[in-house]
Amino acid sequence: MNKIFAVAGVVIKELYRRKDFYVLFVLTAVLTLAAGAVNFFHDEKIIRYVKDLCLLLIWVSALLVAIITTARQIPAEREARTIFPLLAKPVSRAQVIAGKFLGCWLATGVALFIFYFFFAIITGSREHIWPVGVYLEAAWMQWAMLAIVIAMVLLGSIYFAAPSSTNVISFIVVAGILLVGGHLNAIALSQPEPMQTVLAWVYFVIPHLEWYDLRDFVVYDLGTVPARAVALATLYAAVWTGIFLLLAWFGFRRKNLTT
Amino acid sequence: MNVILKTEKLRVEYRNRDFRQQSKVALVGLDLEVHAGEIFGFLGPNGAGKTTTMNVLLGFVPPTSGAASLFGIDVRQPIARQRIGYLPELTYYYKFLTAEELLRFYAKIFGLTRAETDKRIAQLLKLVELEHAAKRPIKGYSKGMQQRVGIAQSLINNPDLLILDEPTSGLDPLGRMKVREIIQRLKDEGKTVFFSSHELGEVEAICDHVAIVHEGQLKATGTVAEISAGHTNLEQSFLKIVGYQTTLVP
Amino acid sequence: MKLSPLSLLVALLALAFTLATGLARRADNWSNRAKSDNVFGMLFGDGRKLFANHFFTMADVYFHSGYYPSVFDQGAAEQKEIIAASHGKKETEEDEKNENFLGKPKDWIDAFGRNFRITQHTHLEHQNEREMLPWLRLAADLDPQKIETYTVGAYFLREHLGRLEQAEAFLREGLRNNPDSCEILFELGRIFNDVHHDYDRARNVWQLGVRKFSTLPEQRQKDDKFVYEEFVVSLSHLERDAGNYALAIDWLRKAQKVSPVPGALQEQIDALQEKITSATPAKP
Repeated sequence: MNKIFAVAGVVIKELYRRKDFYVLFVLTAVLTLAAGAVNFFHDEKIIRYVKDLCLLLIWVSALLVAIITTARQIPAEREARTIFPLLAKPVSRAQVIAGKFLGCWLATGVALFIFYFFFAIITGSREHIWPVGVYLEAAWMQWAMLAIVIAMVLLGSIYFAAPSSTNVISFIVVAGILLVGGHLNAIALSQPEPMQTVLAWVYFVIPHLEWYDLRDFVVYDLGTVPARAVALATLYAAVWTGIFLLLAWFGFRRKNLTT
Repeated sequence: MNVILKTEKLRVEYRNRDFRQQSKVALVGLDLEVHAGEIFGFLGPNGAGKTTTMNVLLGFVPPTSGAASLFGIDVRQPIARQRIGYLPELTYYYKFLTAEELLRFYAKIFGLTRAETDKRIAQLLKLVELEHAAKRPIKGYSKGMQQRVGIAQSLINNPDLLILDEPTSGLDPLGRMKVREIIQRLKDEGKTVFFSSHELGEVEAICDHVAIVHEGQLKATGTVAEISAGHTNLEQSFLKIVGYQTTLVP
Repeated sequence: MKLSPLSLLVALLALAFTLATGLARRADNWSNRAKSDNVFGMLFGDGRKLFANHFFTMADVYFHSGYYPSVFDQGAAEQKEIIAASHGKKETEEDEKNENFLGKPKDWIDAFGRNFRITQHTHLEHQNEREMLPWLRLAADLDPQKIETYTVGAYFLREHLGRLEQAEAFLREGLRNNPDSCEILFELGRIFNDVHHDYDRARNVWQLGVRKFSTLPEQRQKDDKFVYEEFVVSLSHLERDAGNYALAIDWLRKAQKVSPVPGALQEQIDALQEKITSATPAKP
């Protein structure tokens, strides 16, 4: 486990030494503060649109951080050939995959924590309420979803040599699932065969990332989701993460890294 | 003496992505044995199979057939690399880390304790004369400094076998001398060094044992004296073994 | 001829300047975007209307605290009218709340997914309606010709938030951007009548509305007869309250022509006739 944490540590160091996260955080902060400063009908109690915007930016930023950071891990190691001194040590390829996953996941977790802290400060200063439980639940669910995304991107990065192609494909897949994943069953019903069967299969086969989006509960002050549902969703995320990591390992373990 | 590096009938074929083209055979039944305490020079012209052999020994490339082991353990097992150090030909390190962070990272991989790590890092930074730059990111280092970081990382676990890929290529005379001194020091400590090189004079000066590969096959192996027998020096012998005919008119 | 890089640069700059001065006037005719009176118009051109529609819908989403059908959900089309229906039609609110666009879960994924969706149909209340205002403001800025934005905004400002001056100001802004809008004139008249009790101004505004309505194309008049009915019924009530029963009857007779319930209006006319009769002293 120490070896996995060691690899993860390097990923985290890389994230905070690069500019990506800082740029996204500053952008989120500036846009949120600018939106919060707008005066609508001289009413200073209006806050939900600020929460909505800030959470949207957090979602987009966290996805960007997760996907961009993960997509470059293995290709960058191969391109810079840093993978060779690493694999010349007593570390297995499975441990490298696990370490890369853990590093990216922890790094996005840290980023998420900072984003949500900022969100809590902004909304708390306006609403004078601190629904920490709701925020923690929303952040936890988002982080669980990012685990699936990171594992999926890691798998993609084994097969697509260029990080840019992994980035684009991952964004399309994740955005597609988030936007229409939960509605594929309804769409399938309006399609002729064989499209109906294909879409129904896709609906059951894809990871349902849209479950993890609790922004509405935060924005509309609707409290928390039942803990049992959150626990089951976490388990679901763990299963999908495991599937993607195993597939990534299958691809990576016999890969000739010298070509 | 113990055999600590061994290959048996090692064969490596690189499959071509284009199925219409034949696969490329990089190694053909290579048998090698390196004994404990030796400095072993691994020679051959470009494309002879030296790097492929090293790639197999380090687990980067799986052998198509045959076997390779380090300390009696199959090279496909990560634990086989527990007692080795590896210095790549070029400086392939995380440039955003400092030298100290890089060494600490590799020490963790080897499972060194914190106290051992601190002590080892201090020793190595002193050895490669990088104490003053230990906390600076590697990306700001000169090429020579980066190569010295490489040497330090290859020794972090106090290895019994050191695998060096062209360790002096691209270094200035001072750097080369430094590397030679380190190799000599390791030999004095009873370590085994397996290294590939084009610098035949260097090999002649420091190696106990030499192997020459050409076109994926082992062409000759023995002590420097044995290989050079009947020739003026190792270079002449090497050229003859690889079948080089000079076109220069004397 | 040998041209130095510096002289080439100067020549190109001079050419760019000449072209710019020559083309500036023509460019004005290429697009209306540059002439737009607000920054959104300049940025998005006519595409801003799409954003305006989206923001107007967002106000509705907020009104329902996120309980809102997506484009994939059944019955989405009916639900889109909720805001329009909610103004002045409180009797339908309960019916609307009982509607469930989600239906029964189709499978276990759908059923489990509902844990993370808003499944309670609620409306904003207790002054929280203010949360809709930013979206309505943005919708008005992006598409000043979207009349519902002003009427809905003014309705919530007046009825739910008690901000009469802001409601009036918002309607006046809408009227400046849409001088021929009967809907805005009607809402403005309501503010004069119901809030300020300034019946003369209310009468003037509603009568202006009736006149504007009569200038609309025939098809528009047919489609928007509900607005006309509102004008004339409101005018009849205003005249009735002022004691001008004969005028009130005139307005009601006009309303009868477009009303789906002319019988009910006839009852009102009869009641007014009775009042006129009883008020007139018997001839000796």
